[in-house]
Amino acid sequence: MAERVFITGMGMITAIGDTVTANYNSLRQQQSGLGFTQYLDTMYQGVLPVAEVKHSSEALSEMAGVPHQPEYTRTTLLGLIAIQEALQQAGITQQLHTTPTGFVNSSTVGGMCDTEKVYFDIIDPEKHGDFLKYIDTLDCADCTQRIADKVGITEAVTTISTACSSSANALMYGARLIKQGVLRRVICGGTEALTRFTLNGFNSLKNVDKQPCRPFDHQRNGLNLGEGAAYLVLESESLVRENGSQVLAELSGYCNSNEAFHPTAPSPEGDGAYAAMSQALAMSGRSLQDVQYVNVHGTATWSNDLSEGKALERLFGDQVPPFSSTKPFTGHTLAAAGAIEAIYSVLAIQHQVVFPNLNFSEKMEELSIMPETRLLEQYPVQTVISNSFGFGGNNASLVISKYEG
Amino acid sequence: MKGKCYIQGAAAITPQHTFEGDLLSSPLVSGAGNMLSIVEPDYKAFIPANSLRRMTRLLKMGLTTALKAIQDSQLSTPGAIVTGTGKGSLQDTERFIKDIRQYEEKALNPTPFIQSTYNAVNGMIAVQQQVTTYNNTFVHRGFSFESALQDSLLLLAEGVSHTLTGAFDEISAEHFYIKSRIGHWKTATVNNAELYHHLSPGTISGEGASFFVLAAAPTVNSYACIAGLKMLYKPSPATLTAALSAFLAEQQLTVDDIDLVLSGRNGDSNFEHYYTHMDASWPSVPQLPFKHLCGEYETAGAFALWLGAHIIRAQQVPQQWYPFQHSFPGRINRILLYNHFFGDQHVFILLEHAVIPGA
Repeated sequence: MAERVFITGMGMITAIGDTVTANYNSLRQQQSGLGFTQYLDTMYQGVLPVAEVKHSSEALSEMAGVPHQPEYTRTTLLGLIAIQEALQQAGITQQLHTTPTGFVNSSTVGGMCDTEKVYFDIIDPEKHGDFLKYIDTLDCADCTQRIADKVGITEAVTTISTACSSSANALMYGARLIKQGVLRRVICGGTEALTRFTLNGFNSLKNVDKQPCRPFDHQRNGLNLGEGAAYLVLESESLVRENGSQVLAELSGYCNSNEAFHPTAPSPEGDGAYAAMSQALAMSGRSLQDVQYVNVHGTATWSNDLSEGKALERLFGDQVPPFSSTKPFTGHTLAAAGAIEAIYSVLAIQHQVVFPNLNFSEKMEELSIMPETRLLEQYPVQTVISNSFGFGGNNASLVISKYEG
Repeated sequence: MKGKCYIQGAAAITPQHTFEGDLLSSPLVSGAGNMLSIVEPDYKAFIPANSLRRMTRLLKMGLTTALKAIQDSQLSTPGAIVTGTGKGSLQDTERFIKDIRQYEEKALNPTPFIQSTYNAVNGMIAVQQQVTTYNNTFVHRGFSFESALQDSLLLLAEGVSHTLTGAFDEISAEHFYIKSRIGHWKTATVNNAELYHHLSPGTISGEGASFFVLAAAPTVNSYACIAGLKMLYKPSPATLTAALSAFLAEQQLTVDDIDLVLSGRNGDSNFEHYYTHMDASWPSVPQLPFKHLCGEYETAGAFALWLGAHIIRAQQVPQQWYPFQHSFPGRINRILLYNHFFGDQHVFILLEHAVIPGA
């Protein structure tokens, strides 16, 4: 019998807060993190809203406890701040070595946020200087290793990149390592900094809204990008018992499925989303009636919300539970989104709330359902489905359940 | 890592003639300088011409190798696609960075952006083969392929019938130059056939794609069994030695049971000390290097696995690829692969004959 997997620590930083608590407060107060960038060098500075973390990289270095140097990209700094909170919350100080701890990180473009500023110097033989230190940060492994080295993780490190489902897959992979007894504790999540590269990528796909995004609205017109990092500490049931760890929630089910439909678009009937949600729920041993909240992927692109909405209707019939996209708060944080929203799911269970879907006014005519637009309080949330869907047809759903002992 | 799996299909596009023909008679490709490039196969046999035109190099390499491995396995559609890549499609990444500057962020073609995504090859394989199940991509330097392998072992233990597991990386002239600026490559041009005679700072670069179909149980078509996998992050020499003993002990083996060590040494004096240190652990085991064949890159370990699997199945080393070697082992039932990527990610893989005679 495979062990159950528990969440024993969480840490995060997003445009709506530097900590889990700050994020929770902003969600409650319906305080969006969207605005115009202060730190990104782009012609879209005052045109396309983004959800930027409200600190310069210098300030982030200080918060992360590292010198402000090229080796520490914004991607790494965001990750360091989030993971240190997660470790602290889990009460892990000196035990990283006594209990072999793995680290499954995720990233979509690694240190691109900083390397794109110096790339043309890097390839110019006439140019020399400190910027050459950025060469090491070109890939996705760099941020993972710098984070691991700073907090002292030595046992197992790896990095996943499956576009917008990356950190959901990191959580899933960590949980599977625990269930099969490879490791007893794995820290999983992702980190993502805004880049001109990615902003232009999504904009070239005509997927970026000039207004704050409107998930599941008939007039929706694309996503807003965001940045942030989030990590969850996963522990096996036996380790939790041995250490007396405080359990925040159970990661009770998960599924990774692929649309096999199109490089950047989901199938109109939501086949992949349906498969991911239904199989994750089946694994959790919970029924449809047990699900009180779905934190949807809800990017507010035309195709995602249609496809995801269809999948919700197929799965739940006319009993679709309250659902909301929190992307109007945080923007779409790509690799970090799955872990950020997994934490929001845990918060929904801990505080018995459903977070509102901002900016919604008009029902989609293809759907019979509408997102929850109010903050529901004292709502009996026991089980949450959290969705993350991405390019390459990569779909991931997580089921997070209240800890019942 | 517990669990075993069996290699049921394999394919590789590399700087050697690995994609087609007889391994034991294909000549060593050498003398091309410090940046080894793949021998391009005829992609049209695998990908329709209208699709090929839109695809960049890495996507062609990756998809074609994957399709050939599936074909080679004679098995049905795999139950999962798991890959590793250190750099993804460099050509697309470089192009999009330049397009942004050249066109001042306006009216950009999205294709390079889409194809620069690290999981783009996986997505294409899934569409082409209609694999709607598990799909994952690892991007962690010298652990990229090995993490994909570990994930595959988990999947097989969870009941997936067979996985498509592979790796792909390319090198571009621009990226070669970038990495030369942090000392990755030798400054003097060397012939890859003589790589190990030039112990000096840096190595030679390479590229390639290798894919495998892995299953939990052997068949008569199995190449070999992957009996063990161990990854070590920034280990000390002492940790490496202890980890090797533990790794073999898990299999109830000692170094005396190993018939051949496939070593990742690459003539780089900055990191040679790990190989020298480990040589003391297997003083009497025959040893063959492989980086003169493929060059150094994040997922070179996947090529080594491809090579080891073929050696075990053929019970023979492709001797023409080893002009500097005078003797070769006769019986090859167990191969230990040891590789590291610039000193940070170290890997042991144990390969066994699918059915060990007398076992």
